Amino acid sequence: MTAETVPFFPPDLFEADREALLEAVYTAGTAADQKFILGERTARLERELRARLGAADAVACSSGTSGLTLILAALDIGPGDEVVVPAFGCAPLASTVISRGARPVFADIDPAALTMDPAAAEELITPRTRALMPAHVFSVMADMPRFRTLADEHRLHLVEDSAVAQGGVLRGRPAGRWGDAGVFSFVQVKTFGMPGEGGMVVTDDTALAERVRMLRNHGQDGRNRFVHHTVGYNSRFDEAMAAFQLHRLDGLEDRLRRRAAIADYYSERFAPLSEAGITAPPAGGDGRCHYVYTLLAEERDELAAHLAAHGVHSHVYYPRALPAQPAFAGHAPPGARWPNAEDAARRNISIPLYAHLSDARVEHIADTVCSFTDREGRTR
Amino acid sequence: MDRGKFSHGAMVAEFERGLARWTGARHAVGVNSGTDALVMLLRAAGLRPGDEVIVPAYSFIATATAVVHAGGVPVFADIEEHGHGIDPRSAAAALTPRTRMIMPVHLFDRLADMAGVGALARRHGLTVVEDSAEAIGMRQDGVHAGLLGAGGALSFFPSKTLGAIGDAGALLTDDDTVAERARELRHHGRSGRTLDDFPGISNPTVQAGCNSKMDDLQAAVLLAKLGRLDADIARRAELSARYDARLRDLPGVRAVPGGTPPHPGGGRVVYVHLIEVEHRDDLVAHLAAAGIGTETYYPVPLHLQPCFAHLGYAPGDFPRAEAACAAAVALPLYPDLTDAQADRVCDAIEEFYTRRPR
Repeated sequence: MTAETVPFFPPDLFEADREALLEAVYTAGTAADQKFILGERTARLERELRARLGAADAVACSSGTSGLTLILAALDIGPGDEVVVPAFGCAPLASTVISRGARPVFADIDPAALTMDPAAAEELITPRTRALMPAHVFSVMADMPRFRTLADEHRLHLVEDSAVAQGGVLRGRPAGRWGDAGVFSFVQVKTFGMPGEGGMVVTDDTALAERVRMLRNHGQDGRNRFVHHTVGYNSRFDEAMAAFQLHRLDGLEDRLRRRAAIADYYSERFAPLSEAGITAPPAGGDGRCHYVYTLLAEERDELAAHLAAHGVHSHVYYPRALPAQPAFAGHAPPGARWPNAEDAARRNISIPLYAHLSDARVEHIADTVCSFTDREGRTR
Repeated sequence: MDRGKFSHGAMVAEFERGLARWTGARHAVGVNSGTDALVMLLRAAGLRPGDEVIVPAYSFIATATAVVHAGGVPVFADIEEHGHGIDPRSAAAALTPRTRMIMPVHLFDRLADMAGVGALARRHGLTVVEDSAEAIGMRQDGVHAGLLGAGGALSFFPSKTLGAIGDAGALLTDDDTVAERARELRHHGRSGRTLDDFPGISNPTVQAGCNSKMDDLQAAVLLAKLGRLDADIARRAELSARYDARLRDLPGVRAVPGGTPPHPGGGRVVYVHLIEVEHRDDLVAHLAAAGIGTETYYPVPLHLQPCFAHLGYAPGDFPRAEAACAAAVALPLYPDLTDAQADRVCDAIEEFYTRRPR
């Protein structure tokens, strides 16, 4: 067992790329064109991701959250409209909809995948529904084939919150390309994280991409400065970060493979623990994205304390379902319940998963989780 | 940054403390852009859906779009006869029962008429919020821009007096409640501490917020430049005075920054050296041909922007704003511009107007 602690949020994510970061800052900062935002490097990063995904377009913006807002705005979703979103996940699923003046309608999730349940979503479709916005959660992509069918049948937009899922593939189609548009987040902890805030909108709809492009820079068309065609946003991308991401693209596939290998190892070790009240995601399989490794534990807080006592930091991302957040309570119909989301909120706990986690640490983490159940056996 | 949190981290916290000290603000809240700061300021100051906010018709677009994103409706007013701030009399004419706030903008080199705006606001119970995006260093009787009402927004767009190497902004306020709401809004509406605190991402969501976190890289750059901000401002003043001395009496030049004194108690900081001229577009082309870059701040007034066509304004509604849009041109101004470069700009302008048949 290692003596030092294993952080959940590692501080040394970019240690190996320190020189590259300094170089990116220096070159972007001293470039002759003095274009620090939305310049040639950003355009190159957009082209690289577009090509890798096989998407029609990729539009860099200031964050994954902001990307969702830009997509909703580009789809002209506004007051009076409803968007069906999962009841379990990150705040932007509801707040981006509210920021457009529209109404989030919360659908329960699948108890194992933790992603929005298509059947639950379908029941909530009304004449005011304009879009479905499923999200990929932790390491599992939402059931996009069914959401695609559902959206087509009901003539709804499909907005894919793929913020956490860069690198994921389902039935041969990459995360981000199942919806009318999808997003990636590059905040440091993500699979293609960087030392700053940024995101990307990806889409196969070139007209939609053009609207997003206009919306991200104050409604300007990129030709006539200071003429604002639409009420836009400031959601742009910094050149220094684009230069750094271009450098980091080379290692992305390796880092994704490493994450998947760690996750598979965890799942193999944890498969027998379900009897003891700890449910782990399955090893491998289609439609996986290895962003965060999350267990469902009956005795969640005790497990967290046990891990901490052995130097392993864990994190509870979503201690409450979205409709239970004070900010969104007004959008939760009185008396409505989301049993699977509430259950996931009670039990979810995430353990360290990042590419530079050593084998020894991975084993130590797995051993520690397993010993929690041994301890249970001993103490009962 | 070596602490390992690269946005909304320790450097941002340190920059906020430095900025609060430099401006005298009780709270400085670092965010992703000046535009975002405006939206959060309006929301944090209590704007409700459908509220009207009076803004000048002459400004950058974010002044008005921020009102829309905060759920309100922008209502335009004309600018002063001399200078480019909102005219309190025109603002008074824009009042309706739904008016809740007034947002003066401190453009280019001086504060708006804050005494006039303040008097109007007191008379009608309006909240004053400041678009101080361009106004770092500008003070009214010693009080920094952004602290003359409920709060103000700062932009650190690279060309600003205090510029980052990417997008960044901040919100200044002396009001604890406004500051707390803004801190929540910038981080997905989450309550409690999230700055420099990773586990805070799981705090309860108490408002429908956004993601407008500042990068620590930008905070580091800004913190370094904050140390030489006074010197930068002094150099800008020197260059601006140099331009003024050469251009103030030149035929064809209608107005130079130094020709209009600040409002009583107001200090000047020249962010943009903006002159108003005849044959503006021809001058811009002439300068461009001579390798001299300019900016046209702003070619189209806000009430005539395509995105506000639905509000029903027409040409002629705000003649001073419209005249400024037709005549304004900003000359190169940054601390490392040399005297010789400034002189070359003046030579080219002089050549244009003396050679040109009038």
